[in-house]
Amino acid sequence: MTQAAALQIQDLKFRYPGAATGSPWVIDIPALELAPAEQMLLTGGSGRGKSTLLQLIAGLMDPDSGVVTVSGQDIHALRGARRDLFRGRAIGMIFQTFNLLHGFSAMENVMAPMMFSQIPRREHRERARALLERLGIDRPQARPETMSVGQQQRIAVARAVACGPALVLADEPTASLDPENASIAMELIQGACTEVGAALLCVSHDPAMPTRFERRASFDEIAANAHPASTI
Amino acid sequence: MAMSDFTIISRSLSSRLFSTVTTALTVAVAVGLMLTLLSLREAGRDAFSRGGGNMEILISRDASPMASVLNAVFYAGAPPRAIEWRKFEEIRDGFPFEFAIPVQQGDSYRGFPVMATKPEFFREYRPGLRDEWTVERGRIFESPFEVVLGSRVAEATGLNPGDRIFLTHGAADSPDAHVHYDFDYRVVGVLGRTGTSHDRALFTDLVSSWIIHAHDVRQNADPSVTTTTEADLTDADRQITGIYARTAGRPGAEVSAAWQMVFNRLRADPTLTVAAPGREMERLLSIVGEIDSIFIAMAIVVLVSSGIAIMLALYNSMEQRRRQIAVLRVLGCSRPRIFGLIVTESAILGLLGVAGGLVIYFIGAGLVAGAMRQRLGLVINPVLDPQWTLAVVAGTVLLASLAGVVPALMAYRTPVAKNLRPLG
Repeated sequence: MTQAAALQIQDLKFRYPGAATGSPWVIDIPALELAPAEQMLLTGGSGRGKSTLLQLIAGLMDPDSGVVTVSGQDIHALRGARRDLFRGRAIGMIFQTFNLLHGFSAMENVMAPMMFSQIPRREHRERARALLERLGIDRPQARPETMSVGQQQRIAVARAVACGPALVLADEPTASLDPENASIAMELIQGACTEVGAALLCVSHDPAMPTRFERRASFDEIAANAHPASTI
Repeated sequence: MAMSDFTIISRSLSSRLFSTVTTALTVAVAVGLMLTLLSLREAGRDAFSRGGGNMEILISRDASPMASVLNAVFYAGAPPRAIEWRKFEEIRDGFPFEFAIPVQQGDSYRGFPVMATKPEFFREYRPGLRDEWTVERGRIFESPFEVVLGSRVAEATGLNPGDRIFLTHGAADSPDAHVHYDFDYRVVGVLGRTGTSHDRALFTDLVSSWIIHAHDVRQNADPSVTTTTEADLTDADRQITGIYARTAGRPGAEVSAAWQMVFNRLRADPTLTVAAPGREMERLLSIVGEIDSIFIAMAIVVLVSSGIAIMLALYNSMEQRRRQIAVLRVLGCSRPRIFGLIVTESAILGLLGVAGGLVIYFIGAGLVAGAMRQRLGLVINPVLDPQWTLAVVAGTVLLASLAGVVPALMAYRTPVAKNLRPLG
């Protein structure tokens, strides 16, 4: 039996609540698929709906129609707590501003998603420590707000892959970094995903980014009315 | 340690330490107040009902039975009218009493009341239903001009057996008060603590009391009079202000069968005020009971206000925590769990308040009990009734949890996508 795709999108349509009927869809993607451990870059200008797409994939918003399947599970078919639990276990997210938990140490930030996973509690600490060590954090008990931006980025990466997700969604992960650090950060993100076997869908408008990805597409290319085989 | 809900809650509370401490303190004050009032209410009742001791009937010429008990048992003031010795003898011999002890009040020493009586006061009358008098040092008075001190008087004045003192006629603050310098009294003993108002009284022999007052009268009539002895006493000098009485009954019975008959017959005498101390105490407590119900109602209001304080503290913190909540949701935390986290945090604030309240209670009740002992001579032992305590603790935690519902609903409804956007 072949392994389920990390991500499968079919006829996904979304318009913000309150938008007039008949107004253009913000998201209108006929089809998109990511194989397990595959990495893809999605580019597009600001306000094009890139973050919205990631939130739809993560099940943080509901589409008007269409199906998003993560690791074989239609995420919008899950309701309430079951969807939240599934997201925590199957999807890791990295944000432009990292969204780390303030007041908690680097270790605690990485252990936080494990609270909602099936990973035995006794393994949380060691797992987080090993991850942070691999990502070059030498003060795991320090609070992220006392660290450099680059180190905060590493903690965010460690947190995203802590539960061994099938899919990592990265939303403008280098927007807060200078070109040198951006390159290092991407290397870390991609390396970490490869290490845990997670697929990566990265959205960015960083012009230096495309060279890092074998598969890349612009938002317009995957949208309706574009060529279905969107790979460049 | 792995991350847990408790880590999130404790970090949230410690990150807003000032707010956490002040909110918990508000709850603590309310809980402490409530527990103090509840325990003192019970302890106060005990102390008051101990006051009458084994006396069943108090006879005086006070304005009312209540005033008579307050004056003769609790030393609230000097009884205004006297009973002649002959009348006392008539009463004593006319009824089946187990004891009928004459007492006279009106003098004081450094603000402490003096009770002039007979030595049988210490043999027959017991300050508590079952408590005997004890003598801590020295002995009971045996002859005129000997005085024995209540335990509180000894503590406050530092007097010891062998010391000599002058008594003041009237209470120290009354306009006609003056010191009887012509007669000194010798301290012969210090009584053990009884836990009643008698601890703050001095006890002396009736005869000496009659002599010093007769001396005042004789000196007023004839300033050349320099001394007065028992031989100079007339019937008019031999006066008392009250009779502590108990009717004869079966040994060990708290109230004798003859009591009602004797009580009714004495009441038929219009010149006397006849009180059943137990009954008067019940009346007094029912009045006090209404007052302490008001206090307890006020404590409940304070407790509810502290619940509102919890709600406000959490409500105000929600604005700053929306992003944290959104992040937790992304990490897999469900909305019901977020709701539970906030309600639990609120309940923990309540629990912290309960802990603080217990500390306040132990300090507060100790202070109030000390003040009651010092001012009223009432020894009260504040004890927490387990049922009431449990009710207050459970009620506070429940109230705190309810106070967390509104902020928890806000957290529950926090839109995730909106709160994950970059700031600015």
